Amino acid sequence: MRKNLTWRWVLIGLVTAGAVFVMWPPQEKIHLGLDLKGGIHLVLQVNTDDAVRAEVDAAMERLRQALAEKGFPPESMARTEDQEGFTFKPAVQTDSAVLDKVLEEKLPEFSVSRGVTITCRLQDMVVRELRDMAVRQALETIRNRVDQFGVAEPVIQRQGNGDRIVVQLPGVDDPARVKDLIRATAFLEIKPVVATADSEQELLAPYGGRVPDDAMVLTGDVRDVTDRIVGKRYYLVKKASVVTGRDLRNARRSQDQFGQPAVSFSLTPEGGKKFGAYTGAHIGEQMAIVLDNKVYSAPVIRAQITDAGIIEGSFTIQSAEDLALVLRAGALPASITYLEERTVGPSLGRDSIVRGVRSGLAGLAMVVVFMLAYYRGAGINANVALILNAVLLLGALAAFRATLTLPGIAGIILTVGMAVDANVLIFERIREELGLGKTVRNAVDLGFSRALATIIDSNLTTLIAALFLFQFGTGPIRGFAVTLSFGIIISMFTAVFVSRTLFELVLTRKSGKGPQTLSI
Amino acid sequence: MRFFANTNIRFLEYRRVWLSVSLLLIALGLVSMIWGPGLKLGVDFSGGTQLTLKFKQEPDLARVRRALEALKLGEVTIQRFDEPELHEFLVRVQNPGREEDFSKLMVEALDREFNGSGSAELDLNTMGADALRDALAQADPDRVGGGWESRRAHYQTQATAVLQARKERGIFAGPANLDGVSALSPAVRSFLKERAQFGEFTVLAAEAVGPLVGKDLRKKAIQAVIFSLLGMMVYIWARFRLPYSIGAVAALFHDVLITLGALSVSGREINLPTVAALLTLVGYSVNDTVVIFDRIRERLKLERGKPLVDIMNRAINQTLSRTVITSGLTLLVVIALYLFGGDVINTFAFVLLVGIVVGTYSSIYIASPVALFLTQVLEKRRRQRTGR
Repeated sequence: MRKNLTWRWVLIGLVTAGAVFVMWPPQEKIHLGLDLKGGIHLVLQVNTDDAVRAEVDAAMERLRQALAEKGFPPESMARTEDQEGFTFKPAVQTDSAVLDKVLEEKLPEFSVSRGVTITCRLQDMVVRELRDMAVRQALETIRNRVDQFGVAEPVIQRQGNGDRIVVQLPGVDDPARVKDLIRATAFLEIKPVVATADSEQELLAPYGGRVPDDAMVLTGDVRDVTDRIVGKRYYLVKKASVVTGRDLRNARRSQDQFGQPAVSFSLTPEGGKKFGAYTGAHIGEQMAIVLDNKVYSAPVIRAQITDAGIIEGSFTIQSAEDLALVLRAGALPASITYLEERTVGPSLGRDSIVRGVRSGLAGLAMVVVFMLAYYRGAGINANVALILNAVLLLGALAAFRATLTLPGIAGIILTVGMAVDANVLIFERIREELGLGKTVRNAVDLGFSRALATIIDSNLTTLIAALFLFQFGTGPIRGFAVTLSFGIIISMFTAVFVSRTLFELVLTRKSGKGPQTLSI
Repeated sequence: MRFFANTNIRFLEYRRVWLSVSLLLIALGLVSMIWGPGLKLGVDFSGGTQLTLKFKQEPDLARVRRALEALKLGEVTIQRFDEPELHEFLVRVQNPGREEDFSKLMVEALDREFNGSGSAELDLNTMGADALRDALAQADPDRVGGGWESRRAHYQTQATAVLQARKERGIFAGPANLDGVSALSPAVRSFLKERAQFGEFTVLAAEAVGPLVGKDLRKKAIQAVIFSLLGMMVYIWARFRLPYSIGAVAALFHDVLITLGALSVSGREINLPTVAALLTLVGYSVNDTVVIFDRIRERLKLERGKPLVDIMNRAINQTLSRTVITSGLTLLVVIALYLFGGDVINTFAFVLLVGIVVGTYSSIYIASPVALFLTQVLEKRRRQRTGR
């Protein structure tokens, strides 16, 4: 061991240089957690029931139309309670061969059971696929939206294979707006208007108070000239949309003819074709611009429109910008619920860093002073190991792209306290051996070899706790577990290997015999 | 310098006294947990929504309470955060059993109460840089003209500078604070001084944990504690003989129970970081015990036939200076964290503070005596068996 000191120095030098290289400059290389740099952490749930329900609704509509075309409009239709299917009562005179054929053609993904009423249920596999698809689409949509408002290093991840999505947006300074933007369903539809009225009774009076099967009732706000909401207007619209948000090519903030903020959109070529055909054939009729089941406006078609439109409402500049953004990014296939939110404002994060660093330095300074006073020469040795420990720890954090959180800073500070433990164990042992009259050389050798087993034993127990913390912890706790684990492993290197090498330096400085005394 | 050189304290002599002290402390803690105020679960585990608010001046807390109680979101708790002169408060509601954006509702209610209605436009204490930039681009005080995008680009730096200034102050007290923001053009500064609002409060942080996630986190925390205790036991079992393993585990439970008792008595909340601190102290406590046990094992090999009590006393004395120095230094560091680390991390530091003191004590007065007692019992039995 005394002969090959050189490779020890080379190794220490390389490791240190490597650590400094990967962590420098620390402001850029050390990834700060949301609790330190500010930002928003959201866990949201995609309500996949919505997507299943939408699929069932569409199937009901398909079936109703197909049967009506054959001359057998069904008597009644209703979704089942669990939303995964529907029952219907065919008209009495329905030809069963026709019915079979229609069911087979129009509802291939349903399993059908017959009785007085017919029950159609989505096959389990289809339901699973629909739910999975809804989550994946939501993930994609949220990613698009986040990209549009430009956050550096966002994290948008599905949690396992379930219906939860984790969104982390560092540095966001307006969490309320971001939350609204992410959650907006933004489902745009343009639907033909059958009738409008000021109350629901009045609207449905011509239909015997019942909503016709192919239509639905929607509402919209009525505003006076100063844009105050003064009432509600009821619209009977066709269920089938002319175009939807899927046909959008682009959307941007613009102005209406009064100079008020509005959102204008343009359609894809395919959507434009549909829109052009419809508007060309229905000049003079009303159509409703519906966003998330609310009528924004219901203009009268004056000429054929092929590729563009405008959404008017009572927008502020900001809300018009935001609506254009979510329309561009696409609609969510299902609604979203926030399960967990953790927002840290930038000033709190900054305060935490300042305090964490301050208390860390205070602690470090006290330890350094004590070690010098108590162990004198050997104290320098321990302090070098200690500082190297801190540098290597930061290097490890940078190299593994680990995130430094506030509990993580606490972990580093704690590591400083624990890292000296190994040195204390060794030094105390050397003192003991010296007290027994051993030579310096022997005392150092024995001190290191006898303390080693203890050091490994005692550090492993802390490591066990840290590993389980990492396994079960979330966010900041993981940050703590990571710094603690790295700190323990690194402290074994610095306290045992580095400080041994420093001792060897002292012991072999004078050629021939080593020193007779040791400053410890 | 050297403390505790060649001490010969007979630690185990008074083990019954110390054991009673420990049991008393544990009992007190349990009484406090079961019949007293009990362990308080924080937002992480109990669910709920908590805002960290900073006010311009000391607010009328009755108004805060009234505004939040009107939302009917369950019990409202208000608690000062950090130093009194910072006017910072933690306000929390217990979420009712549904999932909703409660933090938004709370901020809106407080905004109505403290800032009146219709003041939301251009409130520099709540708005973000993007919204401010767009508002400036719309009003265009610098008269740059041109298209929307180019105006937006023009005002970006000034908006960011205003937000940076708020970040440093925490909250704007009034228009005069804008004088320090050097990036503002004179026109923008006077525009903002004239038109901008400076709301009574700003939201420093918001945490909302729904019932589903709260349940999840509770499960995970309990799993983490149980599994790391098991892992620790398995390790000790593998490395030491049975009486010692049991001694170490007894010390472990002793430490956790006393620390939980301290949490209960001091009325501190248990959150995720608290659990992390508990696990760390578990690791630390075992670490400390293992050092003493290692030494006992070493001495047992050297001095066969000597009474175990003497060997244990000797081992504890020999490791005493290490125990005191390491614990003392770690304690110094944790005290620094406790004093200067800020309120966010205070309970975390508190748990470690109590844990290190108790953990050090228990390695000497719980782990070794229990190991001693069990060894004696086992030996007596063996002797009886062979004697028969």
